[in-house]
Amino acid sequence: MNQSADTPIVSLHNVSKSFGRVFALEGINLDFYPGQIVSLVGDNGAGKSTLTKIISGTEDPDSGGEIIIDNEKVGKWSAARARNRGIETVHQNRALSEQQSIYANVFLGREKTNRFGFVSRKAEIAETEALMRKIGYTSKVWNPTSTVNKLSGGERQGVAISRAILFESRLVMLDEPTTAMALSEAAEVIEFIRDLKKAGKSVIFISHNPWDAHMVADRFVILERGKVVYDAPKGDMSADDFIALLHKFAKKDQL
Amino acid sequence: MSTEVAKTKKIKELIPEVYRPVFGAAIFFVLMMVAFIVSAPEVFLTVGIYTAIFLSLPLFTIVGLSLVYITAAGEIDLSFPSIIAISALAFTWTLQQTGMNFGLAIPASLLTGCACGWVNGLLVTRLGLSSLITTLGMNFALVGLTNILNNGVVRGLTDINDSKIRAILVGSWGPMPAQMFWSTGIAIILGLIFHRHRFGIHVKVAGDNPEAGRAMGVNIERTKTLVFILIGLCSSLTGIFAVLLNSTFFPTMGDGYLLPTLAAVFVGGTPVTGGKGTIGGLVIGAATVVFIQTGVVAAGLDGYWTSFGFGLVIVFSLIGHRRFSGKLTR
Ligand SMILES: Nc1ncnc2c1ncn2[C@@H]1O[C@H](COP(=O)(O)OP(=O)(O)O)[C@@H](O)[C@H]1O
Ligand SMILES: [Mg+2]
Repeated sequence: MNQSADTPIVSLHNVSKSFGRVFALEGINLDFYPGQIVSLVGDNGAGKSTLTKIISGTEDPDSGGEIIIDNEKVGKWSAARARNRGIETVHQNRALSEQQSIYANVFLGREKTNRFGFVSRKAEIAETEALMRKIGYTSKVWNPTSTVNKLSGGERQGVAISRAILFESRLVMLDEPTTAMALSEAAEVIEFIRDLKKAGKSVIFISHNPWDAHMVADRFVILERGKVVYDAPKGDMSADDFIALLHKFAKKDQL
Repeated sequence: MSTEVAKTKKIKELIPEVYRPVFGAAIFFVLMMVAFIVSAPEVFLTVGIYTAIFLSLPLFTIVGLSLVYITAAGEIDLSFPSIIAISALAFTWTLQQTGMNFGLAIPASLLTGCACGWVNGLLVTRLGLSSLITTLGMNFALVGLTNILNNGVVRGLTDINDSKIRAILVGSWGPMPAQMFWSTGIAIILGLIFHRHRFGIHVKVAGDNPEAGRAMGVNIERTKTLVFILIGLCSSLTGIFAVLLNSTFFPTMGDGYLLPTLAAVFVGGTPVTGGKGTIGGLVIGAATVVFIQTGVVAAGLDGYWTSFGFGLVIVFSLIGHRRFSGKLTR
């Protein structure tokens, strides 16, 4: 299933994850290549978020599974390590500290500091401002020093997305980024994913909107009850064919 | 009433949101001082009362500063009074054993305090125990341990009365007790760290949304453990100052710190709910609390009025903070 001669940024070998008796993921084998946009779809509870958490280092896989980054087996994988290797995530719950300022959230875990660890506020605020202007989230009501709890759902998502692109990322995972967004905001996100592709980055995009998922994808991965049930390049599959495919799996699921 | 609300709103808008808790605490402090001066001018218009207050205020401030950190981190520490006592014992014992070697006694005390805090931190972060119950238990354990180790001795340290170090730490610099300068310095450092350092951000995130911190690669467990260690460090400093001031160690040294210091945190405008805090507010809150403690007695009122005063101050200041700072103190 090699779509590209390049080495994968991330490979999962036989990755499983159970929570007590619930198997969220079972024997997952997937490779994610540079410059490729993968739409990851599946019902609620299929294991999509769990998959992003394992790649982003926020959940450990069960023993036996392996995470391979740039053809290197990683030992102890962690969120800090994942970010250092250029893997950024917009988590489904957004992972924002709502009582802190926008700029503090954007730089959370990656603060710009002097050599004693004191934050360079001016630099962080200026960069946050430029970034938000760039991706089209500007406002008269709030600025980078406003706390996140002042923002609408869509604006919060904007902060989480800004954070994911601020740093030199190679793989950006977006877990249902357009939920709670107005239509125009969702359109911005789609535009933004296309920009990421133009910039040569890899994307794992999770969405419940099949048109969005189809529109941006180079490749589809369908998860069902913790297993990969479909993994193929988009080729010339039309949106209608893609939706029919999703329906087929949904029906099978009911039998 | 409605014009009053409008007025509060206007004043509110003049002050940036982050400074509102500090302003609230300051306004409250000024009102309290006016009340004291009006009701007992013969006491509160003389220098004596202020000198008395400045002797003990720094001790509450130093340990209170670290409690702002733990509150913002979404945890609590009730063991600091016993850490004050046991690290004061470590200080005194080392002085006695080494013929008044401060160079050994101060590190011994600081290490003792940090070790206690580290144990608290490990129990809370590694075993996932509730910090309320863990530190309550730790308080009992350390009170017991202090008494066991001290073995019923009252340790007078008359030899240190004219030592240089004592003069530097708790002597008088002009009319001001030296410890006021020390606590001010510590407040500035801990204030800068809390409000401007990476560590301060991580502390607040740990109390607000630890999952978000973890997802961004922040080591929340280490952050919380360091805060418990900071409490041990500050408690030890307070213990050292207390021993030097009294030239004596007694095992009940930490008693009387628990409730006033916690009150100082909340009167200062740090919300109990975590994720936020104010070091400036704590400095004012500690002054408020110590003024009540000393002022009530100095005004010739029965000591029971101190408790009553605390009660009033806590309730009214929380109401004030809520109106003034909105959600911040909820
Ligand atoms: N922290 C957790 N504890 C227990 N069960 C979990 C946890 N996270 C996910 N699960 C379970 O794992 C399964 C997959 O969840 P998730 O990855 O969130 O699915 P999706 O994102 O596809 O909706 C679900 O059954 C969910 O209930
Ligand atoms: Mg999900």
